[in-house]
Amino acid sequence: MKDLLQKLSGIQTIESIKDILKVNKSMAVYYVYSLRKKGYVKTKRQGNKRIYNISINNKLKGESYYDIINQYSPIKLSIPIIYKIYGKKPSLEETLIYAIKTKSLRTILASLVLFKRINDWAELYRLAKENHVERQVGALYDLARKIMKVRRMNKKFRNNSLPKKEYKYQYIIQDLKSKDFSEIEKTWKIYLPFNEKDLEEYK
Amino acid sequence: MISIDRQQQLLLNVARKLKKKITVYAVGGTAMMFLGYKDSTLDIDLVFENEKDRNLFKEAIKSIGYQEMDAIKVYGIKRNTPEMFKLDDERFDLFVVEVIDFIFSDNMRKRAEQIHQFEDSLVVKIADPHDIILMKCATDRIKDKDDARKIINSIKIDWDIIINEAKNQIELGKTKAAFELGEFLEDLKVNMKLEIPQKVVNKLFDIVKKQIK
Repeated sequence: MKDLLQKLSGIQTIESIKDILKVNKSMAVYYVYSLRKKGYVKTKRQGNKRIYNISINNKLKGESYYDIINQYSPIKLSIPIIYKIYGKKPSLEETLIYAIKTKSLRTILASLVLFKRINDWAELYRLAKENHVERQVGALYDLARKIMKVRRMNKKFRNNSLPKKEYKYQYIIQDLKSKDFSEIEKTWKIYLPFNEKDLEEYK
Repeated sequence: MISIDRQQQLLLNVARKLKKKITVYAVGGTAMMFLGYKDSTLDIDLVFENEKDRNLFKEAIKSIGYQEMDAIKVYGIKRNTPEMFKLDDERFDLFVVEVIDFIFSDNMRKRAEQIHQFEDSLVVKIADPHDIILMKCATDRIKDKDDARKIINSIKIDWDIIINEAKNQIELGKTKAAFELGEFLEDLKVNMKLEIPQKVVNKLFDIVKKQIK
């Protein structure tokens, strides 16, 4: 079973399994069935085709921040690293903070959609403060507001997070500044890594 | 034996008893299970960054019934053996920074990219397969050789990572690292007929020769 799993790990169809294992269709179906029984297979339908995601991680269960972003965002992410969480469902607030901390352009872009659903601003503020990204969250919120309908940020979050005079500008992603959102950058003293064109996938 | 499901349940139970958030590194069979090389393991091997974190973990497992046992029975008389805790046939081996003859180095920590978090309090980072091979040579039991074989047969090994880590271990004061690793790999190559390039073994013994000079 381990050998089979290793050979078939990844995204497969019945045809690709037939090719890899050099077997006929009914044997390929049987192998998928036996891997599924062990918990290694997740199936998606694409048109009238079945796509099999075969991985040890499917058996490990748990949920990842990327699963949550992919659940809500129109911008889909391939999962660059495995970060699984067990025993609790990661909150949207945690997911947003995680996304910011990845410093990955696409992950942050995809996570903007979470502002549509975030409603525990106290928790978001606590997490943002703990990770020193309050202003980053504020700036990204203002950016998200420009492209989608989002829940209103509570005043306490905004007031507590706005920069003081002596604060210096910070990057969300090193050396990336926006040409189109300098007003938001000025408000939060945060350089945004996006231009208007980057946000087209949301429109 | 501990299955994948049981291992998850166990770590979840421990997480629920922990009084503070801690990060640990899974090595050995535990790491191999998370990485998909094994279905079960004899023990859960964890490396802690400091004694304080290990103590917190010990408190948690004691509270669910685990009892301390003598490491000599399993590891013999070796330095840096783990503190061991047992409940029925399930066992935790708890190391702090050093795993027998190796230091769980900063490079190893950086390579441990896969993360599994249990509730809010227990973050388990999984050692990279290259580092698992390296640490397997420290214990040198038959099952360790078999585990190393499984990894070598499953992925494309970047032997430079292993050689460079052996050099790093020497710099960290583990002077026997290249010698032990060289012997271990030679044994796997000769007796288990594994495809380990001869130049890798030679490079390791060249390091040893330089050390002697």
